[in-house]
Amino acid sequence: MTIAIIFIVLGLLALILTIYLAKGHLSKGGDLEKLATQLRTVDVGAFCNLISTSEQQYLREHLPPREFRIIHRERMAAAVEYVRCAAHNASILMRLGEAARQHSDPSVRQAGEKLIENGLRLRLYAIQVIPRLYLSMAFPKARPTSDILADTYDNMSRQVATLSYLHFPTHGMSSAI
Amino acid sequence: MCLVRRRLQRQLPIFVGYVVFELVQFAALFTVYLHSPFSPVIYKWTLVVGTGMGSVLELGVIYELANELLLSRSALASVLRPVLQVILALLVLGAAIGSGALSEISVQRVTNIFQVLDFSSNLIEAGMVLALFIFARALRVSWRSWIAGVAMGFGVSASIDLVSASLRAEWGYRAFIPADLTQMAGFHICVVIWLVSLYLADRTQLFPNEKLKISDLELWDQELQRMVQR
Repeated sequence: MTIAIIFIVLGLLALILTIYLAKGHLSKGGDLEKLATQLRTVDVGAFCNLISTSEQQYLREHLPPREFRIIHRERMAAAVEYVRCAAHNASILMRLGEAARQHSDPSVRQAGEKLIENGLRLRLYAIQVIPRLYLSMAFPKARPTSDILADTYDNMSRQVATLSYLHFPTHGMSSAI
Repeated sequence: MCLVRRRLQRQLPIFVGYVVFELVQFAALFTVYLHSPFSPVIYKWTLVVGTGMGSVLELGVIYELANELLLSRSALASVLRPVLQVILALLVLGAAIGSGALSEISVQRVTNIFQVLDFSSNLIEAGMVLALFIFARALRVSWRSWIAGVAMGFGVSASIDLVSASLRAEWGYRAFIPADLTQMAGFHICVVIWLVSLYLADRTQLFPNEKLKISDLELWDQELQRMVQR
């Protein structure tokens, strides 16, 4: 009886969750203009500084332990916010990539594909990095993260620029640059 | 017909094969049902073999959906493939435990096999579809609407079937007719979802403007400058 009830509840939960999660995929696409306004500012340099091991070492050596722990927690909390913003921007840029994939020009399609690929990579890193940042918050001796996330974000930014550049010739606007 | 006419078999060939198989299975069961004298044993074995083959095809469709959604992307394949394998292994384990606990209620051997197959395949299917949707949401992977519709249809049908299979296992023959009706309703809902998503696939575009306009690109350029302050 108990096992049957467990599976009945699991089935109902699966049904509700499937409908809830699928709803987003079935909705129509958005507006690029609206999406662009949803982008959040990310200072990659500041993020690199926050997760820098040498910076952390310097603070550890020059601050009293208690003060270091407080400042380290604040730095890691700021880094988490940066990662969240970068992941949010990545999801928006991936939609730009999706739009570029529908373009008639193969080079634009390729650039869009790369943008999506990097966006996915960045979101995957973000999922892995956020728990590590929280761990570092709790245990300041733990190394927070590598620079991969910053590099990937930088790559994505460059790909958006490439994508923009690639569109100009297709519209016969290269002379306008 | 709709699938083949739109050449969607190139995108999800196993799914199209599954739809054809369902039609063939229905024709076979209907023929056995109409045959005089009606043989319940032949009908049950046809149903069991059909359920077994259908379950294999359904797993194939889920692999196809996983491939289309996640595994075809090099950035994700190496990380998500082992995660999905672990989820599948856990679901198989759960199905084995559940089947062992629930199948004792059945008294007929053929019906017992049918129940085990039905319950296990639905548990695995519902779990895998849910896992795919969770990954897609976490990574913000865009799924073209008709593929999302196929996955949603499978998920809804498998979840309803899981509930009805559990009910049937728990209450035995008393629950057979209500459980069958629920399963049929679940399958019809699933087909309606597929048809609606196929219809929407023609109309829905990711963005209303097929080609990005120059003003959009300038806007993106500005946003990019704002976004990366180095």
